Amino acid sequence: MNPLRLVIKELIYRRISSLVILFTVIVASSVSIAIYTLSKASENETRKIMREQGLNLYIFPKGTNLIDFYSVNNTQTFPEAYVEVLAESKTFDAVRHLTGILQVKMPEWKDGNGSVHQIILFGYKDEAIQRYLSRQETMGFDVKKGTVQLGALVAKNVKPGAPFIIEGSDGKSHSFIVAKRLEEGKGMRDQGVSFHLEDLQILLGMEGKINKIEALGCICHDGRIKNARSQVQDIFSDLEVTEISSIAEARENQRLMMNKYGVFIIPFVIISALLITGLLFHQNVRARNHEIGLLIAMGRSSYTILFMILFKAFILGLVGGMIGFFTGSLIAEYVGKEIFRFTAFSIKPVWSIFYYTVFIFPLLWMISSWIPALLATRIDAARILSEE
Amino acid sequence: MIDIKHISKTFKRGSEEYKALVDVSLKINKGDYISVSGSSGSGKSTLLNVIGGLIRPDSGEVIFKGENLYDQSGRFLDFYRKRDVGFIFQQFHLMPYLTVVENIGLSCYQKSHADAINDYLEKCSLVNIKDKYPSDLSVGEKQRTAFIRAIISNPVLLLADEPTGNLDPQNSEIVMTLIEEFHKKGGTVVLVSHDPVATKYSNLNIEIGHGSIHIPAQTFGK
Repeated sequence: MNPLRLVIKELIYRRISSLVILFTVIVASSVSIAIYTLSKASENETRKIMREQGLNLYIFPKGTNLIDFYSVNNTQTFPEAYVEVLAESKTFDAVRHLTGILQVKMPEWKDGNGSVHQIILFGYKDEAIQRYLSRQETMGFDVKKGTVQLGALVAKNVKPGAPFIIEGSDGKSHSFIVAKRLEEGKGMRDQGVSFHLEDLQILLGMEGKINKIEALGCICHDGRIKNARSQVQDIFSDLEVTEISSIAEARENQRLMMNKYGVFIIPFVIISALLITGLLFHQNVRARNHEIGLLIAMGRSSYTILFMILFKAFILGLVGGMIGFFTGSLIAEYVGKEIFRFTAFSIKPVWSIFYYTVFIFPLLWMISSWIPALLATRIDAARILSEE
Repeated sequence: MIDIKHISKTFKRGSEEYKALVDVSLKINKGDYISVSGSSGSGKSTLLNVIGGLIRPDSGEVIFKGENLYDQSGRFLDFYRKRDVGFIFQQFHLMPYLTVVENIGLSCYQKSHADAINDYLEKCSLVNIKDKYPSDLSVGEKQRTAFIRAIISNPVLLLADEPTGNLDPQNSEIVMTLIEEFHKKGGTVVLVSHDPVATKYSNLNIEIGHGSIHIPAQTFGK
């Protein structure tokens, strides 16, 4: 008989013991997935808040008058190539995400009704991620070339997919597709239009120029401004760094705290479950010593015996891990909403870790059954089978 | 077929040593039917397990097809037990989660073995219960199932350790007859039993006591 079939038959026959092992896998994976999902949601929400609130750091041309900058009256510019230089620099490791921005006031913009308004034009360069830091998802605004995102005030009566026509510095009309209407409450962006940097540079005749770099995801929690400032100025003496911290810093602290809890709780739960499973497998092998002894007497090799125990652990790890993924995601979604009000709407299954789940949990459970499996191969078949 | 030369085996239980076999030599020829008798703890089962490749002796050799079994690899011993030896035990040792047919199928490593299951089931009056689980079987049915499992792959050697120890006289007779039929078809049998009835089928009776064997003269040439 095929050893795989034998394993399945035994699994079903000792269903209580199998269900207990499965339950420990589900608990371990659910807790891990729930914590990870919540921490990911918290991280995403933090990023959003940081972005909206203007944190972490802004890098401006040295001497920029910030009052002027925020009223968008007067700005100095610098080459957009600075972004790549910072991203490629080994000595600038205070910030992970860098977005070059060109932000310019347009005093006279005619809406669809012919009324004239003052709006702000934002051009976003594709985000650069610091090369010498670990990779993460991009955080910046993603505006595709040829499209625009309209602030809530500018977008009135405009539908996504409609053309957005604006006069350039060359006196000609330029047309873009409205990709998105932003919700209200985005600050200056409510009365702004977001372009891809290259589109805005062409529109304004400011090719290769930007006037600020938004630096998100600071990894120098303590004294970050000092680190970042000195690192930037070591590379570009014509730039300076400003930090605008607020709610975002508190959210960042919450995220870091969640990560700390996760780093402790996830291994604790998994290791506890592995130890319990190891004991359950040991018990299972003891209960089956006559069966295993018989298989040895019938010429089944140690590898076959080892394989049968490990395969059982693999099945339980795989099924438990998969069930745990969905259970954990549901727990995160429903329980998390009550606990983390700010992140409630960001809590979604993290599908990228589903693949890790189907790989890691079977592997971990095979490791937990390794010692019982080895003991099974060393069963003294002669003694066991001669017992009366 | 199997030449056992000067086998000794000592077991340790705590600080005590127990000599199960002391310088035992025995030649088993193809077609022999050997019964081994002796009191409990005399070393009968140890001898059977040494022949079956399950207990490595401390000294001596078990020569099979010109090779000492215990000089060979673990893989060789696995193959020896799989292809050349069939075991029957007092406790049957059927897998509780497999049906009669599936338990027998555990020993099948060729399609011809699986094809022969129905013939054996018929011969042993187990056809009607072939899909039942061991918990639904009588002791006699269990031992007949264990017997078929032991011989279904046509082993050259059948090793039976107290096969009738748990059976009533009627079932004992059935099992002994089945073993006798296996022997008559050219199979070699080594049977360990307390039961004096077992000796009536064998052509060589061995008594074992304190790890040494004694072959009563009258059994030669039986």
